[in-house]
Amino acid sequence: MIAGVFAMFEVDIAFRHIRSRRRQTMFSVMAVALAVAIIIISMSMMSGFMKTIIDVTVENQPHITVSPKEGEDYIYLYHGFEDYVLGQEGVVAVSSYYEGEAALQYRHNVEGAMLLGVNPEDEDRLMNVTGDMVAGDFNSLTGSGSRIILGSKLARNLDVDIGDTVTAKFPGSDPTDFKITGIFQTGTPVDETLAYANLRRVQDFYGQSDIITGMDIRLSDIYEAENHAEVIDRETGYDATSWMELNSEILNLIATQEQFVYIFYVMIFAISGFGIANTLIMIVMEKVAEIGILLAMGTSRRSILFIFLLEAGILGLAGVIIGSVLGYISDIVLLSYSIPVPPDIYFGMDHLPLLIVPKNFIIAGLFAMAINMIAGLFPARRASKMDPVEAIHSV
Amino acid sequence: MSDEKIIQIRNLTKIYENGVEIRAIDNVDMDIETGEFLAIVGPSGSGKSTLLHQIALLDTPTSGTILLKGEDTTKMSDKQRSRMRNEELGFIFQYHHLLPDFNALENVMIPLLIKGIRRSEAKKVALQLLEEVGLIDRADHRTNQLSGGQNQRVAIARALVNRPSIVIGDEPTGNLDTKNSDSIYELLRHLNREHKQTFILVTHDLSMAAKTDRIITLVDGKIAEDSRNVSPT
Ligand SMILES: Nc1ncnc2c1ncn2[C@@H]1O[C@H](COP(=O)(O)OP(=O)(O)OP(=O)(O)O)[C@@H](O)[C@H]1O
Ligand SMILES: [Mg+2]
Repeated sequence: MIAGVFAMFEVDIAFRHIRSRRRQTMFSVMAVALAVAIIIISMSMMSGFMKTIIDVTVENQPHITVSPKEGEDYIYLYHGFEDYVLGQEGVVAVSSYYEGEAALQYRHNVEGAMLLGVNPEDEDRLMNVTGDMVAGDFNSLTGSGSRIILGSKLARNLDVDIGDTVTAKFPGSDPTDFKITGIFQTGTPVDETLAYANLRRVQDFYGQSDIITGMDIRLSDIYEAENHAEVIDRETGYDATSWMELNSEILNLIATQEQFVYIFYVMIFAISGFGIANTLIMIVMEKVAEIGILLAMGTSRRSILFIFLLEAGILGLAGVIIGSVLGYISDIVLLSYSIPVPPDIYFGMDHLPLLIVPKNFIIAGLFAMAINMIAGLFPARRASKMDPVEAIHSV
Repeated sequence: MSDEKIIQIRNLTKIYENGVEIRAIDNVDMDIETGEFLAIVGPSGSGKSTLLHQIALLDTPTSGTILLKGEDTTKMSDKQRSRMRNEELGFIFQYHHLLPDFNALENVMIPLLIKGIRRSEAKKVALQLLEEVGLIDRADHRTNQLSGGQNQRVAIARALVNRPSIVIGDEPTGNLDTKNSDSIYELLRHLNREHKQTFILVTHDLSMAAKTDRIITLVDGKIAEDSRNVSPT
């Protein structure tokens, strides 16, 4: 079948036309190749950027956060609820917590803090706090007595270190001493406010029984978060929020930016499409008599249309292939140089994020082909509508 | 005996309209029989070329019908007309109009390839045609490497390669000297006798017209005279 297509005289004629204008076809192919390469590089940056943002977000946040039912401040019988969530497919870890505000005091230094009471093992499985520890041991919270683990900036602001004791104060609660057994650092703003303690101690501090203010969930597939959250919402009435919902603002911003960038892609491709159209118009003008002869010898108008669309396709495909290779090589080179960027503009990234995704090559290629075929349509239609007698006698 | 009438033209009119109305063909009726070797003569601008273009399906008439082998061509789709042009009609122009990027053999192969014949088979048939027009040794020459007469022979081979039932020539020897003209005429006459093809030739050369079976004279788009030659050579 393929061999049959290549044996067709239309293919032969198309290739002869392209060869007859070697220099010009080369330029238009290079224009397409350049457009494809630029767009592939740009898409790789977008993909890398997107992935880095999602990675950073997901790494430092639970995939789903469950809050109390509407109008309530606490989740009361949470042990059964924990079992229910853990029983769901795709749930990797669950951590129940009691979160409250407190003032931490060390000598004359006082800092406001977010006091988070957790079961250390659960929380560690969920957020991998152990990986963020810069001093001490996260699991020390299981030990006896009131112990606390502080964010690195919070510790610095209080001017404390491991072994010191801070006093937690909250209106209506008895001031309680906590011994510092660890310091963590995530590189995010929570380092300045968050303090971990044992769930039981925090409940005691606030004078509460065994209740929680929320529950965090980690999944094996982060993109299932929305579905899971919806199921929990529907089946239990608790308010489950996925990380996507939590970060909808930044995700929407990226999506909007992507749409905007696509407009530029269309414009870049349109320019390269003009190159193809121009080349084909030249060929059609030069081959008017030949088209007339082919029509006179029984070539159908449809075949003439096919010949010139084929030429647009051949030029486009050559451009796409060369452009893909060019884009791929450029990606590799850019990756190996690890271009530095200012972190305050790039969400804390210190080098240009780049991700080579096959999908981007396919999208850029199909996009380029579509625009080239549209560009080829005008000259091809013009050729197919020629009056054979006029065309033959045009020379 | 309508089976033998390969071409039947009824009330054929072709009007050109750009500013002024020109009746290039004016209500013509004409029957041509299978195997006829026919000349169309007439003064310049009398509509000879226009008539040939209508018969060869290179143009569409303003009104009237043309039946080729009993089929009404004015009711055909582009695809059917294309097929007819490819398989039943061969057109020889005054100028050879060979494709300059193709050599003689490739030029002759084109109608076969359009028909969908395999390249190897097409090559065989095309070589045979080049043999018939006496140019087998010039198969790989391009138009700029051949003389006017040789190019015209290649063009004839191309027009005849699909063994069309109707061969149409618009002053096929108009650009050639007497010697070349005569030998081309002999060639066409020979092919006509050999393959029973119908030939319609427009010519200004009255000595050539005198050697045909029948002469139709056009004047102002109308048939002024239609005479049978009793003793053609
Ligand atoms: N495309 C056209 N547009 C307008 N008028 C045309 C066109 N083609 C031919 N004509 C006119 O139609 C008439 C017949 O032209 P045609 O070419 O058929 O004459 P002819 O008999 O072949 O002449 P010649 O012997 O000079 O070739 C002429 O008056 C010519 O000017
Ligand atoms: Mg003429």
